[in-house]
Amino acid sequence: MATLADSFLADLDELSDNEADILEEEDVDAGNMEEDVDGELAGLESLNYDDLDSVSKLQKTQRYNDIMQKVEDALQKGSENSDHGIVLEDDPEYQLIVDCNALSVDIENEIIIIHNFIRDKYRLKFPELESLVHHPIDYARVVKRIGNEMDLTLVDLDGLLPSAIIMVVSVTASTTSGRPLPEDVLGKTIEACDRALALDSAKKKVLDFVESRMVYIAPNLSAIVGSAVAAKLMGIAGGLSALAKMPACNVQLLGAKRKNLAGFSTATSQGRVGYLEQTEIFQSTPPALRMRACRVLAAKSTLAARVDSTRGDQTGKTGRALRDEIRKKIEKWQEPPPPKLPKPLPVPDSDPKKKRGGRRLRKMKERYAVTDMRKLANRMQFGVPEESSLGDGLGEGYGMLGQAGSGKLRISAAQSKLAVKVAKKFKEKQYGSSGATSGLTSSLAFTPVQGIELTNPQAHAHQLGTGTQSTYFSETGTFSKIKRN
Amino acid sequence: MDEVASVAELIKNFAVIYIVDITEVPDFNTMYELYDPCTVMFFFRNKHIMIDLGTGNNNKINWALKDKQDFIDIVETVYCGARKGRGLVISPKDYSAKYHY
Repeated sequence: MATLADSFLADLDELSDNEADILEEEDVDAGNMEEDVDGELAGLESLNYDDLDSVSKLQKTQRYNDIMQKVEDALQKGSENSDHGIVLEDDPEYQLIVDCNALSVDIENEIIIIHNFIRDKYRLKFPELESLVHHPIDYARVVKRIGNEMDLTLVDLDGLLPSAIIMVVSVTASTTSGRPLPEDVLGKTIEACDRALALDSAKKKVLDFVESRMVYIAPNLSAIVGSAVAAKLMGIAGGLSALAKMPACNVQLLGAKRKNLAGFSTATSQGRVGYLEQTEIFQSTPPALRMRACRVLAAKSTLAARVDSTRGDQTGKTGRALRDEIRKKIEKWQEPPPPKLPKPLPVPDSDPKKKRGGRRLRKMKERYAVTDMRKLANRMQFGVPEESSLGDGLGEGYGMLGQAGSGKLRISAAQSKLAVKVAKKFKEKQYGSSGATSGLTSSLAFTPVQGIELTNPQAHAHQLGTGTQSTYFSETGTFSKIKRN
Repeated sequence: MDEVASVAELIKNFAVIYIVDITEVPDFNTMYELYDPCTVMFFFRNKHIMIDLGTGNNNKINWALKDKQDFIDIVETVYCGARKGRGLVISPKDYSAKYHY
């Protein structure tokens, strides 16, 4: 927006002519800028910071004074002439409302420019104040109250700011790096503050006037959000048609305060709601449902604004219908859930148990699978009594474990089948081992029968699966016809 | 046995309860030896299903059950066994000591 460009430009001390030219072009594109505002921007090129008048010209313009005069008259006349005819555009009051909207936007821009001016001047005195007090009008009031005072305990800021911020301001002022201003600079600053406050009160008057006429201008919108909020929305959007053109998500954010002072908790801040926060519907919803409610509100009020901008429904019936719809929706959210119906029991044994498979299950089953040790212990040699843990046939029998003549003397933990498959995948990495699977095994062992025995490294210890040395039923066999590369 | 109606709703997918007044329909009194104030018998596809309740009489339940869930369990067991073709099912709960002295 050109106003943001204005404020950025005003901040820069060095202005090149190029930038000013670009600004002029942008300005021409924005069609609703008037002649005197152009002149105001031309004044920015040759910015003389010592002179307030070169910065803020709005209050001197004819247009401003005309509209303010009309507004004063209209406010005093009160709300008469309810006969507005069918074509409202011809009504001079409607034109005044449109002008008021444009003027309120201009006043806001003007306030921002003056705020920058005050801030630049007051920086010498109290540089930290601009980061503590964000709102331009509050800033102007505080500057006016403090003046050239160095000791903030003598200054009473009550009523201007929340007490927490007053405390922060006082503390910061005691350690500020600023120095008192010279008299003339101070005078200019105070004058700028006065002007800002005057503009603010003018804006308030304009808004009051628009609000009182709101029921005739935008009956549907006022039916939903109320005339005060409707006036504010229109004012900040820059007119009813501008408001109607906005998507609902933007309408929700109109007037949202952005900054949260650093150091204060953001837990209680209601994010992402603007002027709609002040509507009766929003205030009456429980806090948990507020975000949903404001989204619905924004959507329906956008619809109402669109109806009003095309003057589709003068009576406001659409607005009232939309408001009822919103109310019903919010009530429905608050309903308790329906009571649970008692369900009859399912037929027993009707659904067969879902047996799962897959790698994960197989690995889990491996933990409880019968190990090779247990298999060996379960079998016995024919005609040979087995050894047992307590000796003499008492206790647990050892079966084929540790018997002489078995290929292995020490049973090492068998590799799981999955691991074997993985190992076969990377066959090239396997070095030809002599059958010993761990580096600690030796070929030499002592057995009770034969004394010293040497293990046969070639004997595969798979007595269990390959009794006939057949590879057909091998536990680790693969398809014989399929070539594995 | 007065909560039979609520149980009927729960088990309606696999069992139906018929209440018969033996004074009005005395035709089966001798066949099934129906002399108690209240008797429960189970039939599946026209076949009488016996339940081993531990009481000695496998044909019927002729006392008042304390718990609704017990009754539902018995009906489920009868259903599962009868579907498999069993003529005698074993009750999940033992009623041999039903008279606690």
